[in-house]
Amino acid sequence: MAAPEVHHLFHNPIADHSFSADRKTLAIARDTTVELYSRVGNAFKLKDELKGHDKTVTSIDIAPNSGRIVSCSQDRNALVWEPTPQGYKPTLVLLRINRAATFVRWSPSETKFAVGSGDRLIAVCYFEEENDWWVSKHLKKPIRSTVTTVAWHPNSVLLAAGSTDAHARVFSSFIKGVDARPQPTAWGERLPFNTVCGEYLNNSAGWVHAVAFSPSGDALAFAAHDSSITVVYPSAPEQPPRAVVTINTQLLPFMSLIWNGEAEIIAAGHDCEAFRFKGGSDGWQLSGTLEAKGRPGMGDEREESALNMFRQMDLKGKVKDDTQLKTVHQNTITMLRPYETSGSSVKKFSSSGVDGRVVIWNV
Amino acid sequence: MSVIREHTQATLSDAWRTINIDALQEDSSVNFDTSTLHPPLPEASEPEVRQLAGQVRQLLRGGDAEGALRGCLESPVYSNSSELARDAHLQTVIEVLQSIKASDMTPMLQRIYASPGGSECLDVLMKYLYKGMAATSTASGSSAPRTPTRMTPQQTGFSQIGARPGAPTESTGAAMSVLLSWHEKVVEVAGLGCIGRVMTDWRRV
Repeated sequence: MAAPEVHHLFHNPIADHSFSADRKTLAIARDTTVELYSRVGNAFKLKDELKGHDKTVTSIDIAPNSGRIVSCSQDRNALVWEPTPQGYKPTLVLLRINRAATFVRWSPSETKFAVGSGDRLIAVCYFEEENDWWVSKHLKKPIRSTVTTVAWHPNSVLLAAGSTDAHARVFSSFIKGVDARPQPTAWGERLPFNTVCGEYLNNSAGWVHAVAFSPSGDALAFAAHDSSITVVYPSAPEQPPRAVVTINTQLLPFMSLIWNGEAEIIAAGHDCEAFRFKGGSDGWQLSGTLEAKGRPGMGDEREESALNMFRQMDLKGKVKDDTQLKTVHQNTITMLRPYETSGSSVKKFSSSGVDGRVVIWNV
Repeated sequence: MSVIREHTQATLSDAWRTINIDALQEDSSVNFDTSTLHPPLPEASEPEVRQLAGQVRQLLRGGDAEGALRGCLESPVYSNSSELARDAHLQTVIEVLQSIKASDMTPMLQRIYASPGGSECLDVLMKYLYKGMAATSTASGSSAPRTPTRMTPQQTGFSQIGARPGAPTESTGAAMSVLLSWHEKVVEVAGLGCIGRVMTDWRRV
């Protein structure tokens, strides 16, 4: 396995990152701005800063085809940044929420996006041609607490959301005039707006940090604060799921997860490294870490001489320098995204975290 | 004019910052029974707990400490049961823990963890370890009430010194050391995830 590509951008937390479709532009949510980096050789150089929010930007997403960037912030606003020859032009979205916006994602069709918020609702936003602005419809019931994360089904109608009320839910976000009538799936057949297609809770009921549909859309995985991953396999509309598999791990909680095909999940979080899970509807298990042990440049090259030992003891009062973690990320990983895919399997994925690093991993 | 003056006075004092706006909002979490978010917990009555304690003691006498431990971890008494039943079950768990030799702890925990449903069992054990620690530290003052005295925000920090229980007696110290060594062993086997689950879990024991 080739070594991961590490980009240490700055010494601030990265709330979210997103690559453009050609992977040449990288958008980073840093404090109250969105920073755009462009690839120069092997490094990423700061190219542009998008200033429009006046509180912490919590999430960003680049639509792969249109190149539009959507960002949302604790200032309760979402902005759509339209690429123009003169630079990016922001458009305010009418979210109508009175708490922070926490998470935003474009639907695969790129005609809509969903914004999770602390106002116990999800704003599903779409463009209204006649008024020339982005408007939203609210998914409200039965969310009881802050929405921490959302994920789209491949059909752009079903939307999964995780919340601090410990539930992962699947909603219909069907908007007349915007969406084509979706094919019936195991989640539901008739899907008017705000149909609740599924509501799931794991045993110890921790906050949900991440949700993701499998590539086919026929399974849903979510990671919760009880260090678990739960995978739900629906059977038929209005029926209890075919299987719900929960894996409790010995690790710290996961903050983000992605699917690699239908039988593998990659998750990362407070342990600062990514882990691989393998399984199917009859059971899942943790199969190891993606961290390559004994990477070059990990402190082993320092000479282990007696002189060095005493020097360390004299300088620092200890023999071993233990201020560095043995992982690539030096703090919590908050976001994983597929970087290079072929079909439904992920060849490379990127991660960003509180340590200001963006890392591109080979699977 | 007077309206403006009133308005500025109202904003200059920051009393408005302490208004709980959630209470004014109809569908906020304050005005909502959060217990309806979860499926109901199984309820255990005190006689049932005593009966289970009898069975567990019998297993202990028969030398099946692992069976006894599993027995009491598989039927935890949750917060919706009576205080008496919960305390009785805590006593049973602590009794079992105290009767197991230190050298047997790790292999026993590993066997339980590897068995189906074992991870859940160790989570329950961890809950009882923390509950046990809380109970031994509050009960150490000889006649201190079992329920921790709740501090009201009006009280100053000084009164806390008076409320602090006396020095731990020898027996509670021994009980605590048993719990601490179990805690260490459980973390070795079930990892830090186990502690996280105890903190997040809404099913309190």
